[in-house]
Amino acid sequence: MGTEQGSNEIIHYLPQEISALGMTVHMQTLYMMWLTMAIVVILMGLCASRSKLIPGRFQCIVEMCILWLEDLIESNIGKEGRRVMAPFLITLFLYIFIGNEVGLMPQVGIHLTSPTNDINVVFGLSIMVMVVTYLMGFKVKGFGYLKHFVSPFAVMLPLNIVEEVAQPVTMALRLFGNILAGEILLIVLYQLLPWVAPVVWVLFSLCIGLLQAFVFTILTIIGLSNVFVEH
Amino acid sequence: MLDFDATFIAQIVNFIILLFILGKFAYKPLMRVLDERRERIANDLGSAEKTRVEAEALKEQYSKQLAEARQEAAAIVDKANKIGAKIQEDSKAQALVEKEQIIASAHQVTELEKEQALAQIRGQVIALATEIAGKVIDQKLNSQDDQAMIAKTADSVLSK
Repeated sequence: MGTEQGSNEIIHYLPQEISALGMTVHMQTLYMMWLTMAIVVILMGLCASRSKLIPGRFQCIVEMCILWLEDLIESNIGKEGRRVMAPFLITLFLYIFIGNEVGLMPQVGIHLTSPTNDINVVFGLSIMVMVVTYLMGFKVKGFGYLKHFVSPFAVMLPLNIVEEVAQPVTMALRLFGNILAGEILLIVLYQLLPWVAPVVWVLFSLCIGLLQAFVFTILTIIGLSNVFVEH
Repeated sequence: MLDFDATFIAQIVNFIILLFILGKFAYKPLMRVLDERRERIANDLGSAEKTRVEAEALKEQYSKQLAEARQEAAAIVDKANKIGAKIQEDSKAQALVEKEQIIASAHQVTELEKEQALAQIRGQVIALATEIAGKVIDQKLNSQDDQAMIAKTADSVLSK
Protein backbone atom coordinates (compact mmCIF):
# COMPACT_ATOMS: atom_id res chain seq x y z
CA MET A 1 0.00 0.00 0.00
CA GLY A 2 1.23 3.47 0.71
CA THR A 3 0.41 4.97 -2.69
CA GLU A 4 -2.44 6.15 -4.74
CA GLN A 5 -2.67 2.67 -6.22
CA GLY A 6 -5.39 0.28 -5.12
CA SER A 7 -4.85 -1.93 -2.11
CA ASN A 8 -5.19 -5.13 -4.11
CA GLU A 9 -2.47 -4.27 -6.57
CA ILE A 10 0.70 -6.33 -6.49
CA ILE A 11 3.90 -6.63 -8.45
CA HIS A 12 2.04 -6.83 -11.74
CA TYR A 13 4.33 -9.08 -13.76
CA LEU A 14 4.46 -11.80 -11.12
CA PRO A 15 1.66 -14.21 -10.11
CA GLN A 16 -0.88 -12.85 -7.66
CA GLU A 17 -1.69 -16.11 -5.98
CA ILE A 18 -0.31 -19.64 -6.08
CA SER A 19 -2.58 -22.54 -5.27
CA ALA A 20 -1.44 -26.07 -4.62
CA LEU A 21 -2.93 -29.02 -2.73
CA GLY A 22 -6.04 -26.96 -2.03
CA MET A 23 -4.02 -24.22 -0.34
CA THR A 24 -3.50 -20.70 -1.61
CA VAL A 25 -0.54 -18.45 -0.95
CA HIS A 26 -0.98 -14.69 -1.28
CA MET A 27 2.08 -13.84 -3.34
CA GLN A 28 2.18 -10.07 -2.73
CA THR A 29 2.51 -10.75 0.98
CA LEU A 30 5.13 -13.42 0.31
CA TYR A 31 7.21 -11.03 -1.86
CA MET A 32 7.05 -8.41 0.86
CA MET A 33 8.05 -10.99 3.47
CA TRP A 34 11.08 -11.85 1.36
CA LEU A 35 11.92 -8.20 0.86
CA THR A 36 11.65 -7.59 4.61
CA MET A 37 13.77 -10.64 5.34
CA ALA A 38 16.35 -9.50 2.78
CA ILE A 39 16.57 -6.03 4.35
CA VAL A 40 16.94 -7.48 7.85
CA VAL A 41 19.57 -9.99 6.70
CA ILE A 42 21.54 -7.36 4.74
CA LEU A 43 21.39 -4.90 7.65
CA MET A 44 22.50 -7.40 10.25
CA GLY A 45 24.91 -9.13 7.88
CA LEU A 46 26.64 -5.83 7.09
CA CYS A 47 26.96 -5.05 10.75
CA ALA A 48 28.17 -8.53 11.67
CA SER A 49 30.67 -8.80 8.82
CA ARG A 50 32.19 -5.43 9.65
CA SER A 51 31.94 -5.73 13.39
CA LYS A 52 35.09 -4.54 15.07
CA LEU A 53 36.21 -4.17 18.66
CA ILE A 54 36.20 -0.41 18.21
CA PRO A 55 32.89 0.17 16.41
CA GLY A 56 32.13 2.54 13.55
CA ARG A 57 29.05 4.74 13.40
CA PHE A 58 26.81 2.15 11.69
CA GLN A 59 27.92 -0.64 14.02
CA CYS A 60 27.31 1.67 16.98
CA ILE A 61 23.69 2.28 15.95
CA VAL A 62 22.92 -1.42 15.39
CA GLU A 63 24.71 -2.44 18.59
CA MET A 64 22.84 0.25 20.50
CA CYS A 65 19.49 -1.19 19.27
CA ILE A 66 20.56 -4.74 20.08
CA LEU A 67 21.85 -3.82 23.52
CA TRP A 68 18.69 -1.83 24.24
CA LEU A 69 16.60 -4.88 23.34
CA GLU A 70 18.89 -7.20 25.32
CA ASP A 71 18.61 -4.97 28.40
CA LEU A 72 14.84 -4.91 27.99
CA ILE A 73 14.76 -8.70 27.70
CA GLU A 74 17.12 -9.25 30.64
CA SER A 75 15.24 -6.89 32.93
CA ASN A 76 12.01 -8.82 32.25
CA ILE A 77 13.02 -12.47 31.95
CA GLY A 78 16.49 -12.57 33.54
CA LYS A 79 19.92 -13.57 32.27
CA GLU A 80 19.04 -17.14 31.37
CA GLY A 81 15.96 -15.94 29.48
CA ARG A 82 18.05 -13.41 27.61
CA ARG A 83 20.66 -15.98 26.69
CA VAL A 84 18.05 -18.37 25.27
CA MET A 85 15.50 -15.99 23.80
CA ALA A 86 17.45 -12.90 22.68
CA PRO A 87 18.03 -14.02 19.04
CA PHE A 88 14.34 -14.93 18.65
CA LEU A 89 13.05 -11.70 20.20
CA ILE A 90 15.51 -9.45 18.37
CA THR A 91 14.65 -11.12 15.07
CA LEU A 92 10.95 -10.74 15.85
CA PHE A 93 11.37 -7.04 16.60
CA LEU A 94 13.50 -6.32 13.52
CA TYR A 95 11.20 -8.31 11.25
CA ILE A 96 8.04 -6.56 12.43
CA PHE A 97 9.71 -3.13 12.50
CA ILE A 98 11.17 -3.39 8.98
CA GLY A 99 7.96 -5.07 7.75
CA ASN A 100 5.85 -2.18 9.10
CA GLU A 101 8.07 0.43 7.42
CA VAL A 102 8.40 -1.33 4.04
CA GLY A 103 4.85 -0.37 3.07
CA LEU A 104 5.62 3.30 3.70
CA MET A 105 8.66 3.44 1.42
CA PRO A 106 8.49 5.37 -1.88
CA GLN A 107 6.92 3.25 -4.60
CA VAL A 108 9.45 3.10 -7.42
CA GLY A 109 8.44 0.70 -10.15
CA ILE A 110 7.03 -1.89 -7.79
CA HIS A 111 4.15 -1.68 -5.40
CA LEU A 112 5.30 -2.04 -1.80
CA THR A 113 3.03 -3.12 1.03
CA SER A 114 3.72 -4.09 4.62
CA PRO A 115 3.66 -7.85 5.12
CA THR A 116 2.05 -7.10 8.47
CA ASN A 117 -1.09 -5.80 6.78
CA ASP A 118 -1.96 -9.42 5.98
CA ILE A 119 -3.94 -11.24 8.69
CA ASN A 120 -2.04 -14.47 7.93
CA VAL A 121 1.28 -12.84 8.75
CA VAL A 122 0.21 -11.32 12.05
CA PHE A 123 -1.58 -14.48 13.16
CA GLY A 124 1.38 -16.52 11.97
CA LEU A 125 3.62 -14.41 14.19
CA SER A 126 1.34 -14.42 17.25
CA ILE A 127 0.57 -18.17 17.05
CA MET A 128 4.29 -18.85 16.59
CA VAL A 129 5.04 -16.73 19.66
CA MET A 130 2.42 -18.66 21.63
CA VAL A 131 3.84 -22.02 20.51
CA VAL A 132 7.40 -20.92 21.31
CA THR A 133 6.27 -19.71 24.74
CA TYR A 134 4.63 -23.07 25.50
CA LEU A 135 7.61 -25.04 24.16
CA MET A 136 10.02 -23.03 26.31
CA GLY A 137 7.64 -23.32 29.27
CA PHE A 138 7.60 -27.12 29.04
CA LYS A 139 11.36 -27.20 28.42
CA VAL A 140 12.19 -25.06 31.44
CA LYS A 141 9.48 -26.04 33.92
CA GLY A 142 8.08 -29.28 32.52
CA PHE A 143 4.37 -29.80 33.17
CA GLY A 144 4.73 -27.42 36.13
CA TYR A 145 4.42 -24.65 33.55
CA LEU A 146 0.68 -25.35 33.37
CA LYS A 147 0.40 -24.22 36.99
CA HIS A 148 0.16 -20.64 35.77
CA PHE A 149 -3.39 -21.47 34.65
CA VAL A 150 -4.44 -21.83 38.31
CA SER A 151 -2.34 -18.98 39.59
CA PRO A 152 -2.81 -17.17 41.89
CA PHE A 153 -6.03 -19.15 42.71
CA ALA A 154 -7.69 -22.19 41.14
CA VAL A 155 -10.88 -20.19 40.54
CA MET A 156 -8.92 -18.05 38.09
CA LEU A 157 -8.68 -20.98 35.65
CA PRO A 158 -11.46 -19.85 33.27
CA LEU A 159 -10.15 -16.29 33.19
CA ASN A 160 -6.60 -17.53 32.61
CA ILE A 161 -7.79 -19.72 29.72
CA VAL A 162 -9.58 -16.77 28.15
CA GLU A 163 -6.47 -14.63 28.64
CA GLU A 164 -4.28 -17.31 27.12
CA VAL A 165 -6.46 -17.45 23.98
CA ALA A 166 -7.09 -13.71 23.85
CA GLN A 167 -3.41 -12.78 24.05
CA PRO A 168 -2.30 -14.02 20.58
CA VAL A 169 -5.57 -12.82 19.04
CA THR A 170 -5.23 -9.31 20.48
CA MET A 171 -1.53 -9.14 19.64
CA ALA A 172 -2.23 -10.10 16.05
CA LEU A 173 -5.26 -7.85 15.60
CA ARG A 174 -3.57 -4.85 17.23
CA LEU A 175 -0.63 -5.05 14.85
CA PHE A 176 -2.78 -5.86 11.83
CA GLY A 177 -5.30 -3.11 12.58
CA ASN A 178 -2.69 -0.41 13.12
CA ILE A 179 -0.70 -1.16 10.00
CA LEU A 180 -3.64 -1.82 7.68
CA ALA A 181 -5.49 1.26 8.93
CA GLY A 182 -2.37 3.38 8.50
CA GLU A 183 -1.92 2.28 4.91
CA ILE A 184 -5.62 2.63 4.02
CA LEU A 185 -5.64 6.14 5.49
CA LEU A 186 -2.54 6.93 3.44
CA ILE A 187 -4.37 5.93 0.24
CA VAL A 188 -7.38 8.01 1.26
CA LEU A 189 -5.13 11.00 2.00
CA TYR A 190 -3.46 10.67 -1.40
CA GLN A 191 -6.93 10.92 -2.95
CA LEU A 192 -8.11 13.85 -0.83
CA LEU A 193 -4.98 15.97 -0.16
CA PRO A 194 -2.19 14.71 -2.43
CA TRP A 195 0.48 17.16 -1.26
CA VAL A 196 1.46 17.75 2.40
CA ALA A 197 -0.90 15.54 4.43
CA PRO A 198 0.34 12.12 3.14
CA VAL A 199 3.95 13.04 3.97
CA VAL A 200 2.98 13.99 7.51
CA TRP A 201 0.99 10.77 7.81
CA VAL A 202 3.94 8.72 6.49
CA LEU A 203 6.17 10.26 9.18
CA PHE A 204 3.54 9.46 11.80
CA SER A 205 3.13 5.92 10.45
CA LEU A 206 6.89 5.35 10.62
CA CYS A 207 6.65 6.03 14.36
CA ILE A 208 3.56 3.83 14.63
CA GLY A 209 5.48 1.03 12.88
CA LEU A 210 8.27 1.26 15.45
CA LEU A 211 5.81 1.47 18.32
CA GLN A 212 3.80 -1.56 17.16
CA ALA A 213 6.96 -3.63 16.72
CA PHE A 214 7.95 -2.65 20.26
CA VAL A 215 4.47 -3.46 21.63
CA PHE A 216 4.41 -6.89 19.95
CA THR A 217 7.91 -7.69 21.25
CA ILE A 218 7.27 -6.49 24.79
CA LEU A 219 4.04 -8.53 24.97
CA THR A 220 5.99 -11.57 23.84
CA ILE A 221 8.59 -10.90 26.54
CA ILE A 222 5.86 -10.56 29.17
CA GLY A 223 4.42 -13.90 28.03
CA LEU A 224 7.87 -15.45 28.39
CA SER A 225 8.29 -14.01 31.90
CA ASN A 226 5.93 -16.79 33.11
CA VAL A 227 8.55 -19.24 31.84
CA PHE A 228 11.78 -17.75 33.13
CA VAL A 229 10.71 -15.83 36.22
CA GLU A 230 9.13 -17.33 39.36
CA HIS A 231 6.07 -15.34 40.38
CA MET B 1 -5.41 -10.30 2.87
CA LEU B 2 -8.36 -10.76 5.19
CA ASP B 3 -8.92 -14.44 4.50
CA PHE B 4 -6.89 -17.19 6.08
CA ASP B 5 -4.78 -19.25 3.70
CA ALA B 6 -1.41 -20.97 3.41
CA THR B 7 0.36 -17.58 3.70
CA PHE B 8 0.03 -18.26 7.43
CA ILE B 9 2.30 -21.31 7.12
CA ALA B 10 4.62 -19.48 4.68
CA GLN B 11 5.03 -16.74 7.27
CA ILE B 12 6.04 -19.18 10.00
CA VAL B 13 8.45 -21.02 7.69
CA ASN B 14 9.97 -17.75 6.47
CA PHE B 15 10.43 -16.51 10.03
CA ILE B 16 12.16 -19.73 11.06
CA ILE B 17 14.50 -19.40 8.04
CA LEU B 18 15.22 -15.77 8.95
CA LEU B 19 15.87 -16.73 12.58
CA PHE B 20 18.23 -19.50 11.47
CA ILE B 21 20.18 -17.22 9.07
CA LEU B 22 20.49 -14.38 11.59
CA GLY B 23 21.29 -16.71 14.45
CA LYS B 24 24.06 -18.36 12.49
CA PHE B 25 25.60 -15.47 10.57
CA ALA B 26 24.75 -12.28 12.44
CA TYR B 27 24.13 -12.76 16.16
CA LYS B 28 27.07 -15.05 16.83
CA PRO B 29 29.75 -12.69 15.40
CA LEU B 30 28.00 -9.67 16.89
CA MET B 31 27.67 -11.26 20.32
CA ARG B 32 31.28 -12.43 20.15
CA VAL B 33 32.46 -8.87 19.48
CA LEU B 34 30.21 -7.50 22.24
CA ASP B 35 31.43 -10.12 24.71
CA GLU B 36 35.07 -9.50 23.73
CA ARG B 37 34.61 -5.79 24.21
CA ARG B 38 32.85 -6.30 27.55
CA GLU B 39 35.62 -8.64 28.68
CA ARG B 40 38.35 -6.30 27.49
CA ILE B 41 36.80 -3.30 29.26
CA ALA B 42 36.42 -5.36 32.43
CA ASN B 43 40.05 -6.56 32.14
CA ASP B 44 41.33 -3.05 31.46
CA LEU B 45 39.40 -1.69 34.42
CA GLY B 46 40.66 -4.55 36.57
CA SER B 47 44.30 -4.02 35.58
CA ALA B 48 43.93 -0.26 36.04
CA GLU B 49 42.60 -0.85 39.54
CA LYS B 50 45.45 -3.28 40.24
CA THR B 51 48.02 -0.76 38.99
CA ARG B 52 46.42 1.94 41.13
CA VAL B 53 46.59 -0.26 44.22
CA GLU B 54 50.24 -1.12 43.45
CA ALA B 55 51.05 2.56 42.95
CA GLU B 56 49.37 3.38 46.28
CA ALA B 57 51.40 0.66 48.01
CA LEU B 58 54.63 1.91 46.40
CA LYS B 59 53.82 5.47 47.38
CA GLU B 60 53.18 4.42 50.93
CA GLN B 61 56.43 2.42 50.95
CA TYR B 62 58.38 5.38 49.57
CA SER B 63 56.81 7.74 52.09
CA LYS B 64 57.77 5.37 54.89
CA GLN B 65 61.31 5.04 53.54
CA LEU B 66 61.58 8.81 53.18
CA ALA B 67 60.41 9.33 56.75
CA GLU B 68 62.90 6.73 57.97
CA ALA B 69 65.70 8.34 55.94
CA ARG B 70 64.82 11.74 57.36
CA GLN B 71 64.81 10.33 60.86
CA GLU B 72 68.14 8.61 60.24
CA ALA B 73 69.64 11.78 58.76
CA ALA B 74 68.46 13.77 61.78
CA ALA B 75 70.00 11.18 64.08
CA ILE B 76 73.28 11.29 62.14
CA VAL B 77 73.39 15.11 62.25
CA ASP B 78 72.58 15.02 65.96
CA LYS B 79 75.31 12.47 66.61
CA ALA B 80 77.79 14.51 64.51
CA ASN B 81 76.87 17.61 66.47
CA LYS B 82 77.41 15.78 69.74
CA ILE B 83 80.74 14.37 68.54
CA GLY B 84 81.78 17.83 67.34
CA ALA B 85 80.84 19.38 70.69
CA LYS B 86 82.70 16.63 72.54
CA ILE B 87 85.79 17.11 70.35
CA GLN B 88 85.59 20.84 70.99
CA GLU B 89 85.26 20.30 74.71
CA ASP B 90 88.07 17.75 74.74
CA SER B 91 90.28 20.10 72.74
CA LYS B 92 89.47 22.92 75.13
CA ALA B 93 90.24 20.78 78.14
CA GLN B 94 93.44 19.51 76.53
CA ALA B 95 94.44 23.05 75.63
CA LEU B 96 93.82 24.13 79.21
CA VAL B 97 95.92 21.26 80.52
CA GLU B 98 98.65 22.06 78.02
CA LYS B 99 98.44 25.69 78.99
CA GLU B 100 98.81 24.79 82.64
CA GLN B 101 101.69 22.50 81.81
CA ILE B 102 103.39 25.15 79.69
CA ILE B 103 102.89 27.73 82.39
CA ALA B 104 104.18 25.33 85.05
CA SER B 105 107.20 24.36 82.98
CA ALA B 106 107.80 28.05 82.24
CA HIS B 107 107.69 28.72 85.94
CA GLN B 108 110.09 25.85 86.53
CA VAL B 109 112.43 27.09 83.83
CA THR B 110 112.23 30.59 85.20
CA GLU B 111 112.94 29.33 88.70
CA LEU B 112 115.83 27.24 87.45
CA GLU B 113 117.23 30.12 85.44
CA LYS B 114 116.68 32.37 88.38
CA GLU B 115 118.51 29.92 90.62
CA GLN B 116 121.27 29.53 88.07
CA ALA B 117 121.50 33.28 87.71
CA LEU B 118 121.55 33.69 91.46
CA ALA B 119 124.20 31.00 91.76
CA GLN B 120 126.16 32.71 89.06
CA ILE B 121 125.72 36.10 90.69
CA ARG B 122 126.64 34.57 94.03
CA GLY B 123 129.77 33.16 92.57
CA GLN B 124 130.65 36.47 91.03
CA VAL B 125 129.68 38.37 94.19
CA ILE B 126 131.90 36.07 96.25
CA ALA B 127 134.73 36.50 93.80
CA LEU B 128 134.19 40.24 93.61
CA ALA B 129 133.81 40.63 97.39
CA THR B 130 136.86 38.51 97.98
CA GLU B 131 138.80 40.56 95.53
CA ILE B 132 137.56 43.84 97.03
CA ALA B 133 138.11 42.71 100.56
CA GLY B 134 141.55 41.38 99.65
CA LYS B 135 142.41 44.63 98.03
CA VAL B 136 141.01 46.46 101.06
CA ILE B 137 143.08 44.56 103.55
CA ASP B 138 145.69 44.03 100.93
CA GLN B 139 145.94 40.35 101.41
CA LYS B 140 144.41 37.53 99.78
CA LEU B 141 141.62 35.67 101.46
CA ASN B 142 142.27 32.33 99.84
CA SER B 143 141.86 30.04 102.78
CA GLN B 144 138.83 27.89 103.07
CA ASP B 145 137.66 29.59 106.16
CA ASP B 146 137.82 32.96 104.47
CA GLN B 147 135.86 31.73 101.55
CA ALA B 148 133.18 30.21 103.85
CA MET B 149 132.85 33.44 105.77
CA ILE B 150 132.54 35.50 102.63
CA ALA B 151 129.95 33.06 101.21
CA LYS B 152 127.95 33.32 104.39
CA THR B 153 128.06 37.08 104.22
CA ALA B 154 127.07 37.05 100.53
CA ASP B 155 124.18 34.71 101.22
CA SER B 156 122.88 36.88 103.99
CA VAL B 157 123.07 39.88 101.65
CA LEU B 158 121.46 38.05 98.75
CA SER B 159 118.71 36.62 100.89
CA LYS B 160 117.69 40.18 101.89
